[in-house]
This record gives sequence, C-alpha cells and structure tokens, in this order.
Amino acid sequence: MDLALIAQHLVNGAMLGVIYALVAVGFTLFFGVLDVIKFSHGDVVMLGAFTALATSAGLVGSGSALPPAIVLAAMFIAAVGGMAVFGALMAKFLVLPLRKAPTLNVLLITLMAGTVIREAVRLFYPQGSNPKPFPRLLPTGAWEIGEFTLRYDSTILLVTGVVAIVLVHLVITRTRLGLAIRAVAQDPETASAMGIPFHGTVLATFAIGSALAALAGVVNGLYYSEVSFNMGLLLGAIGFSAAVIGGLGNVYGAILGGFIFAALQTIGAVLLPIASAYKDVFAFAAVILLMAWKPGGLLAERSADRV
Amino acid sequence: MKALSLEIRDITVGYDRADVLSGVSLTANAGEITCLLGANGSGKSTLARAILGLTPPRSGTIRLDGRDIAGLAVHKIVGLGIGAIPEGRRVFPKLTVTENLRTGAYLVRDAALVATRMTEVFRVFPRLEERAGQLAGTLSGGEQAMLSIGRGLMGSPGLLIIDEPSLGLSPKFVKENFQVIRRINEAGVSVLLVEQNVHQTLEVAHRGYVLSGGRVVAEGTAEELKRHPELVAAYFGNHGG
Repeated sequence: MDLALIAQHLVNGAMLGVIYALVAVGFTLFFGVLDVIKFSHGDVVMLGAFTALATSAGLVGSGSALPPAIVLAAMFIAAVGGMAVFGALMAKFLVLPLRKAPTLNVLLITLMAGTVIREAVRLFYPQGSNPKPFPRLLPTGAWEIGEFTLRYDSTILLVTGVVAIVLVHLVITRTRLGLAIRAVAQDPETASAMGIPFHGTVLATFAIGSALAALAGVVNGLYYSEVSFNMGLLLGAIGFSAAVIGGLGNVYGAILGGFIFAALQTIGAVLLPIASAYKDVFAFAAVILLMAWKPGGLLAERSADRV
Repeated sequence: MKALSLEIRDITVGYDRADVLSGVSLTANAGEITCLLGANGSGKSTLARAILGLTPPRSGTIRLDGRDIAGLAVHKIVGLGIGAIPEGRRVFPKLTVTENLRTGAYLVRDAALVATRMTEVFRVFPRLEERAGQLAGTLSGGEQAMLSIGRGLMGSPGLLIIDEPSLGLSPKFVKENFQVIRRINEAGVSVLLVEQNVHQTLEVAHRGYVLSGGRVVAEGTAEELKRHPELVAAYFGNHGG
C-alpha cells in the first residue's frame, strides 16, 4: 500500500475518532456525575444533526441568499444550543426524578426516550424515514500533496472537533463549573455541603454532554453529506463502547476510546479482504476482546475517584 | 462573617420510615462551642445532616440567626454561612489540595478573597502548602484531616459544624485537632462539635447536649455535664477514659 493511501486512511480515522470521542465524552460525563447510562444519547446526536438540517432548510427556503458561512454558523448554533437546552430538560424531567430509583430504571427510561425521539423524527420530519441529504456548505477544494489529497472540509471538521475536545478539557480542569462537576462526580453529598448546587451542576453537565453530541451529529452530517433518523443507533453504540473501553467516568478515557474504536474500524476496512461493511463487525468484536482483557476499561478508575 | 446562632426546635428526622431523631431541640449560642455527645447510633450525625439539609427534618424548625432554614436546598443553607467538616473528612481524593480548598470557597466569587483565605489556611497548616499540588487521595490521614478543616474554613463560616474530627486519628493529632478547634472559635466562629470523645470535648466546649436513642437526654454547660459522671458513664461506658 502506498503512503498516500495510508495518509488518507489516517485522516479518515482521525475524523471518525473525533466524532466518536465527542459522543463518548457525554456518556462518561453523565456516568461521572449521576452514575447513570443515558441510552438516548445517540438519538440526541441525530436530533442535533436534524436541528441543523431544519435550520439550513428554513434559512435557504426563506429565499434569502445568505452566504454559506452564515448558514453554517446558524446550523451549529441552533444544533448545539438547542441540544444543550434539550439535554438539561431531559436531565431535569427524566433522569433526576429517578435519582432514588435503581440505575436500571434510568437505563430503561432513556432507552424509551431515545425511541420516542427517533420515531418522532421519522414521523414528523418531512419524509423523515428516508436518509436526508445534508447540505454541503464547506469549501470543496483540496490540497494536493503528491498523491495525497487533503480536503478543506475534512480539515475544517477535524479542527472543529479537536478544538471542542480541548475546550471540554479546559472547562473541566480550569473553570469553577469544571471544579463543581469533578467534585459532584467524586462525592455529591460533600460537594453540596461545600455549597456546590447539585441540581445545577447536573443540569450543566447534561447540557455540555448534549451540546457535544449535537456537534458530533453536525460534523457527521457534513462529513458524510447525509443524515438519517436512525443514525444515532450506531453512533450511540459506538460512543458508549468507546466510553467503556476508556473506562467509564474518565473523560480522557472516553476520548482515547473514541480514537481506538475509529482505529479498529479503519484497520478493519483496510485489512479485511471482504467488503468494508464488515468493519463494524471487526471493530465490535475487537471491543469484546478488549473488554475481556481489561474489564474495567483501559483507564479504569475506582468509583470513588472519577472524572 | 460574624458568629451565627443556631436554634433547633422539636425536629423529627428519619430515613425512609424509621425516625432517627424525635423531638430534638438544641441551641448553639453565637460565638460559643456547643458540643453534641452521644454513642454510635445515637443520632448525632443525623442531626448534623439535618442542619445542613442533607437529610431534611420532617417537622420542627431550624433557625440560623433567627431565619428558618429547614427545607432549603443544601447549597442555600451553606450559603447563609454554615461551614461543614464532615464525618470521615471526605476530602475529594482526585482533586488536588488547592482544588479541595477551592471547593470550600465555591460560593465566594471574588478570586482575590479566595486567594487570601487560602494563604490563611496555609499559615495555619503549612503542611498543606507543601502538598498544594498533590491529589488529596495521596495524603496521610492527618493531612486529610487538616485539609478537611481548611476546606471548612475557606467559606469563612459564621457557624462551623464539625462531625467526629478525632475519628481514626492518632492521640497526638486528636489533641492538636482540639486546639485548632478552640483557636477557630476564638477567632469568632460558632462551633457545633459532634463527638464521642467526652473528656477532650468538654474541655473545649462551652455548652453541650447528650443524645441517646434519638433524644436529648442531658444538656447544660460543659461544667454541668462534667459533674454528671454517672450520666456520662451510663452513655459512653469507657469511651474517652
């Protein structure tokens, strides 16, 4: 295999890694502060992508010839902002009321909430059951480096994702909110005895996680130029696997897990002689082996010292 | 913040169905050390939790400087000037010493003020300054106790609730701990001290209450409580010698 092809696979793998990491960080944050698995997270990714799609359709449909950059900015803001609010509302009305209930109930209720979101989009979005073309608003050119072409759009998306991940790191390690999130994750009772508002911190955490999911959804849509109502199923399963591979509750583990999963898929696509559709089978099988080897995840932590 | 008074009237507190405290009343005067003595399971830690709002009372009133706080959210109660040094120290193991102290001043938005208070804590416990960047989980038991006390002071409370500070510490450190509590009080902070260690507690406290089976069975000044040796013996056996 020539170098250009390897570079191409690397860029593609990195792109997938960024998307998965953005989804996985949400899973791990929710588990960190509340010890819950929110199974509707993948569908929030999808809802974020559809929010962006609806925004662009609304702006373009209104007949005004807005420059792509403005449309794109509006799509990102609507998706990220909308999902942040949506995530906080889900935490307030679905997850927090079940705080005293067994974790399994939260898992079940979010699983059902995910189905409701998915089916609602299918039913209410115009022709929602078909895959929808996602607008190509990013510059379409590419840098030619020998045999290797680096597309502008991939580069922009990659940088956007990496910046988002770095921002999450900074929020968690450098800000007052980050301190609250980490304190609540480690010992919610003592955190409130220090004056840290428990509910507020949980809502903020769900807002951040859901905003990242929306970002992942929009990046995914722009990268593949297509979204569908059930895209969240696979993305949710992958994000969850990535979070578990890294060690649930550890933000850096989730990011690492996202890139590991993307690497496995890419390796599967390259090495398997049969159709690359089997890359997911390969990647998930590898995850099963990985979990058998390290049941607690790669950066496993004791439950007492998370996030 | 000025020293705050606490007045608890006839509270009932329970988890699930069983009442742990029934009809408990207690007054902690501003500027004094009030102690709460009792054996394991007497309900004294539950009382500390009830004041903080962690286990809100089912009935009765809790007044902080005259204002009823029963039923408020924990962070609201803490924001009114209560500091907590919880049972078992409960430092955040994966936060650094500095970050732990910062959580104690979470409600203080003035960064300069937080820095000043941290300097004060480091002056009282120079050991913590040496370990400032270290994760709290890697500290020794004694150092964690210092950190827990320092964290409780970071919010500059008017009333400090200290739950079993001597639990699990060496005798030498227990003694130092009581001296620190006395100094905190002399600096103008009301203290509610929850303890099993009768003798040393009555040495520093002004007034005290004895809990047994979820009820107040004795109260009075420290001198009065000391003069009830049979009472003390009845409830604590050999505890504290």
